[in-house]
Amino acid sequence: MDTIVSIRDVVKEYSLGKVVVPALRGVNLEVKKGEFISIAGPSGSGKTTLLNLIGCVDTATRGLVSVTGQDTAQLSESALTRLRLNTIGFIFQSFNLVSVLTVYQNVEFPLLLQRKLNGAQRKERVTQLLTQVGLLDHAKHRPNELSGGQRQRVAIARALVADPQIVLADEPTANLDSATGAAIIDLMKELNHTKGTTFIFSTHDHRVMQHAQSVVRLADGLISGRETAAQAVAHSLGVEQAKAS
Amino acid sequence: MFRYFQIAARNLWQHRLRTSLVGLAVALVTAVFVLLTGISNGTQNTMITASTTLLTGHINVAGFYKVTPGQGAPVVTEAKKVRAIIEKEVPEVESIVERGRGWARLVSDSSSLQVGLAGIDIETEKGFDGVLQIESGDLSKMKETDAVLLFQKQAEKLGYKENGKKVPVKVGDRLTISAPTPRGTNNTLDVTVVAIAKDMGLMSQFSIFMNNTGLRRLYQMNDDTTGALQIQVKHFNPNDRTGLTALRERIGKVLQQHNYTLLDNNKPVPFWMKFQDITRESWTGQRIDLTLWSDEASFLENFAKIISVLFGMVIFTLVVIVSIGIFAVMWVAVRERTREIGTLRAIGMQRFSVMTMFQVEGVILGVIGALAGAVMGLAIAGLLNAAHIKIAEGMQLFLFSDHLILLPTANLVAWGVGIITVVIGLASIVPSVIASLKKPVEAMSHSG
Ligand SMILES: Nc1ncnc2c1ncn2[C@@H]1O[C@H](COP(=O)(O)OP(=O)(O)OP(=O)(O)O)[C@@H](O)[C@H]1O
Ligand SMILES: [Mg+2]
Repeated sequence: MDTIVSIRDVVKEYSLGKVVVPALRGVNLEVKKGEFISIAGPSGSGKTTLLNLIGCVDTATRGLVSVTGQDTAQLSESALTRLRLNTIGFIFQSFNLVSVLTVYQNVEFPLLLQRKLNGAQRKERVTQLLTQVGLLDHAKHRPNELSGGQRQRVAIARALVADPQIVLADEPTANLDSATGAAIIDLMKELNHTKGTTFIFSTHDHRVMQHAQSVVRLADGLISGRETAAQAVAHSLGVEQAKAS
Repeated sequence: MFRYFQIAARNLWQHRLRTSLVGLAVALVTAVFVLLTGISNGTQNTMITASTTLLTGHINVAGFYKVTPGQGAPVVTEAKKVRAIIEKEVPEVESIVERGRGWARLVSDSSSLQVGLAGIDIETEKGFDGVLQIESGDLSKMKETDAVLLFQKQAEKLGYKENGKKVPVKVGDRLTISAPTPRGTNNTLDVTVVAIAKDMGLMSQFSIFMNNTGLRRLYQMNDDTTGALQIQVKHFNPNDRTGLTALRERIGKVLQQHNYTLLDNNKPVPFWMKFQDITRESWTGQRIDLTLWSDEASFLENFAKIISVLFGMVIFTLVVIVSIGIFAVMWVAVRERTREIGTLRAIGMQRFSVMTMFQVEGVILGVIGALAGAVMGLAIAGLLNAAHIKIAEGMQLFLFSDHLILLPTANLVAWGVGIITVVIGLASIVPSVIASLKKPVEAMSHSG
């Protein structure tokens, strides 16, 4: 399998005035095409920071971040934007849909930015995605007329509409109840299966984790291990039991 | 691009109250622009029409005759010959009228008034009845040798008081004109008021009209002497000063070829402001002075200019204020939608597109506001014109009319809408650029 994301000795520091806050302190990670992996770790461990680096919305302080073979440090702002548009799909914790656009228009938006498809082709593509996420009959609704789960499904459709190679999801289920969250993860997994799209999502919920192929565990800005889903669940439960006792 | 319009329009719609308040401000400023430029243009237009009918030709062949260096009269001798030369050699001339010129005291039973005299031959004058609004009397009686025409305020000043009430001079009353001669005596002529016209601001302050034969008789001039030949040119365009100046140059050459001497002094002032200079010069005999309408009307034009400048300042101030308003509203919009900006940047929208999206919003607001304002302004202008609003007396002087005249041309309105839209576009650039420069990560973590 080909490597699609490669992270080497990555350090990310935020400076708050004179204080330097290390968010990642030397992270190494390889993600292969078609993987469905979860990044787990407690709050403040650096999950969001890591996803931002992979998603090319932020740059590392030191180290190499390579996405589809390109060293992101070498790319210009507009090249990074193009990379995001064409190879990466984003799903956000709080959905982040454009409130004044309909469901249909939100999903169509990346295609308009790409300018590759004509109207009819776009329509076909958007319809297909909305069917897959089960929201075709809500196409004309505005986001604020939908439930959280529905909104996140719109976001998934938007993330996938331009056929990206990687989909990044930062705690996609955190604002959803567990049943809805599970359904969202199932949907992502299904798309991962049918299209072979690489999914990387962060979570600190072990019920979500268990769906992943593998779980990358972050603690305090360092990767502390990479486990299978079963190991990870056992691990989290162990931690919780340890806490409880 | 269409989607940006849609997003912009929907965001504006979502914030209807804010949008309509700022839009209204833009509209009001545009309406004020239309009204003030309408008044300014109306004034200008009134001034040009009235002055080129009553006061001056488009080009005037005038001059001074000096018996001794220190004594000058504003006359052209051999008027018929000069006229024939011009009619023959200058095809651009539409028509020529003769005007007598003088400066004298107008005396009534109870009072007197220093006035400029304009001698007219009413049968050759065109457009007089269109420009003058006759209050009482009959303009056609100006063909009688002893006829004079006064303006209302002059009639009042020459009137008398009876039981504390002012009684103005009336049509049919007799007056005396007394003109000083170089010899230190006065020539006098008894005249009859045949018509009284409505005031026309500054234009009607300083002079009266009288029969040209009467004026010649007053100054004991022969038939072939006149004050000025006032030329009306074909296709007159008041804004084409270069064209008119070139024509004046040509007329000058033609007259020089016929051995006339031109006055060196080419100051753009009316003839009565030239006496001092001329009597200081050493030449004697006839010199021709070719003037443009704008020279003779320069003292009026300056007032029209002052009005334009004042109105311009008012408009400028309002535009600045409304720009600040737009700036603030766009600023708030950018702040409110910071998360959205972050999201769109993350999913692959380029900086320039983000800027465009906000810029479109500002420009839509500007265009709609400005267009609405233009319609509003035109409607109000129409109403004001229809209402025939009387102007306060002090203002009449500078507006050249006793009622408000607004003349908002399509051109001016288009300029107004254009300028205001552009300024608003500029005002929203800074917020738009700020929006486009936001880093996606920081923008997305923005709360509020
Ligand atoms: N913009 C920032 N400025 C300063 N420090 C930051 C910034 N963003 C994150 N950090 C710090 O970096 C560290 C990692 O943050 P990060 O958001 O990546 O953690 P996380 O694992 O996503 O946490 P959570 O589960 O709460 O979302 C934390 O200590 C955080 O305080
Ligand atoms: Mg996070």
